[in-house]
Amino acid sequence: MSRSVRCLNCIVPPHVLKKLLESKDRGIREAALNSLLVTARLRGERGVRAATFVAPPGDGRRTVYDCRSGYFLPLAVVARTENGEAPSDASVNLAFDGLGTTREFFREVFDRNSIDGRGMRLDGYVHYGVRYNNAFWNGREMVFGDGDGLLFADFTRSLDVIAHELAHGVTEFTANLEYHNEPGALNESMSDVFGSLVKQWSLGQTAEEADWLIGADVLTPEIEADALRSMKAPGTAYDNDLLGKDPQPDHRDRFVVLPDTEDGDWGGVHINSGIPNKAFFLAAVAVGGYAWEAPGHIWYESLLASHERTRFQEFADTTCLKAGQLYGNVEQQAVTDAWREVGIRVAGVWAGTGGRGPGRGRGGEPGRGTEPAENGDTLAALTKQVAALAAQVKTLARDVKTLKGRK
Amino acid sequence: MKVRLAKHGGLAPGIRQPPLSVESSALSDEAAAELARLVAAVKTVPAVSAESPGRARDAMSYTITLEENVGEPTVLRVSDVTMSASFAALLEWIERHAAGK
Repeated sequence: MSRSVRCLNCIVPPHVLKKLLESKDRGIREAALNSLLVTARLRGERGVRAATFVAPPGDGRRTVYDCRSGYFLPLAVVARTENGEAPSDASVNLAFDGLGTTREFFREVFDRNSIDGRGMRLDGYVHYGVRYNNAFWNGREMVFGDGDGLLFADFTRSLDVIAHELAHGVTEFTANLEYHNEPGALNESMSDVFGSLVKQWSLGQTAEEADWLIGADVLTPEIEADALRSMKAPGTAYDNDLLGKDPQPDHRDRFVVLPDTEDGDWGGVHINSGIPNKAFFLAAVAVGGYAWEAPGHIWYESLLASHERTRFQEFADTTCLKAGQLYGNVEQQAVTDAWREVGIRVAGVWAGTGGRGPGRGRGGEPGRGTEPAENGDTLAALTKQVAALAAQVKTLARDVKTLKGRK
Repeated sequence: MKVRLAKHGGLAPGIRQPPLSVESSALSDEAAAELARLVAAVKTVPAVSAESPGRARDAMSYTITLEENVGEPTVLRVSDVTMSASFAALLEWIERHAAGK
């Protein structure tokens, strides 16, 4: 095999290797992949995996692979296909079902055809590694571990974790929030938001009924912990000698500054996501009903309107704008109040109010707030809103430029 | 030879995951030989550590420290998305043998 790999490296050009990746012969596919990966490492290229795995459209067709406790994905075997029979392996079937539920959620709620909006195939890998306490998205597929049975159970058991990972793909194909610092924390938050919404949608739960926990189903009963994260109360998901303490903040003032390194969680992306997580929870509960409806749409449209370096303030402003554009004063006030409660004052534009602020609250009563205007200062409020509009136009122009660059 | 494995990151990086270690002198001759073979294979493939997450989200990374009888320890670091076949084989072996102790 190694001699074949060396020959492929020397003689076969990359475009041919990429075509060989589509071969029905597994041995040929593996050899081509190994060649491309070795070549990429030699050239210092990091993007070959993304470049080679551009999936053809397929209405989100699912395939689940069994890693058989290995860590090298090319050696995984097909365990279930979209129209194939269900095997006896529960993990395979849970992953298959979870991928399908997430796919249906995005289709029915947001009219989105799979992760990329164009029917991207959904591939899942189960039984990854030995007692692997994690699940991840590699830019093309999602991968699940079985857990060690002590801290964690099988990660395919958690629909919110499955949806969380797939939502990383949605973010990548929309705003593509970079995975560092505040944009990275927003990236993580978007995945927690959609992860929780998929679960709520599948259960028919209202915002009040939902537990707003991420990964509750992957922790073993013996561990005294609620979940991996709590959107409702960041920082309270766990606190014991075995796991340590949940480090998530619930307010901007308690933002955790960490180095932008692997050890620093790339600036605390899994930690500071607690701040926008709580904002979404608060907005959802304030609006009431099903969280995937108004709040979910406001957040989704705001994601579409964001870009790689969108930070908390800009995203908050966008959610306020979208709330006004898509819904009305009630939703806009809920969103504004939610962000304020986590320490971010929205500088959004109030739809249909002529710059007079949110005006009326629920039931036609006079609104209590004049966000973003200072009380009694209409000119200052108008000036601030014009500035906010200008910022929005700038963002839109950047989005258009980015979209043009991608075509 | 002593081999130590530390794991980092993942979708809940705040949760501590205990390190693992294997001492070759405590292994059977067959297992010790297998470990030596796997270590030799890993040392011939350049380890690719992450300077950036790239497209990976919630991936874990691994630091394997090889303490041999002579010389400085060798430190290898890879992630779930930069895993070579030889590193994967060593990682799996360590997980199986360290947990068995």
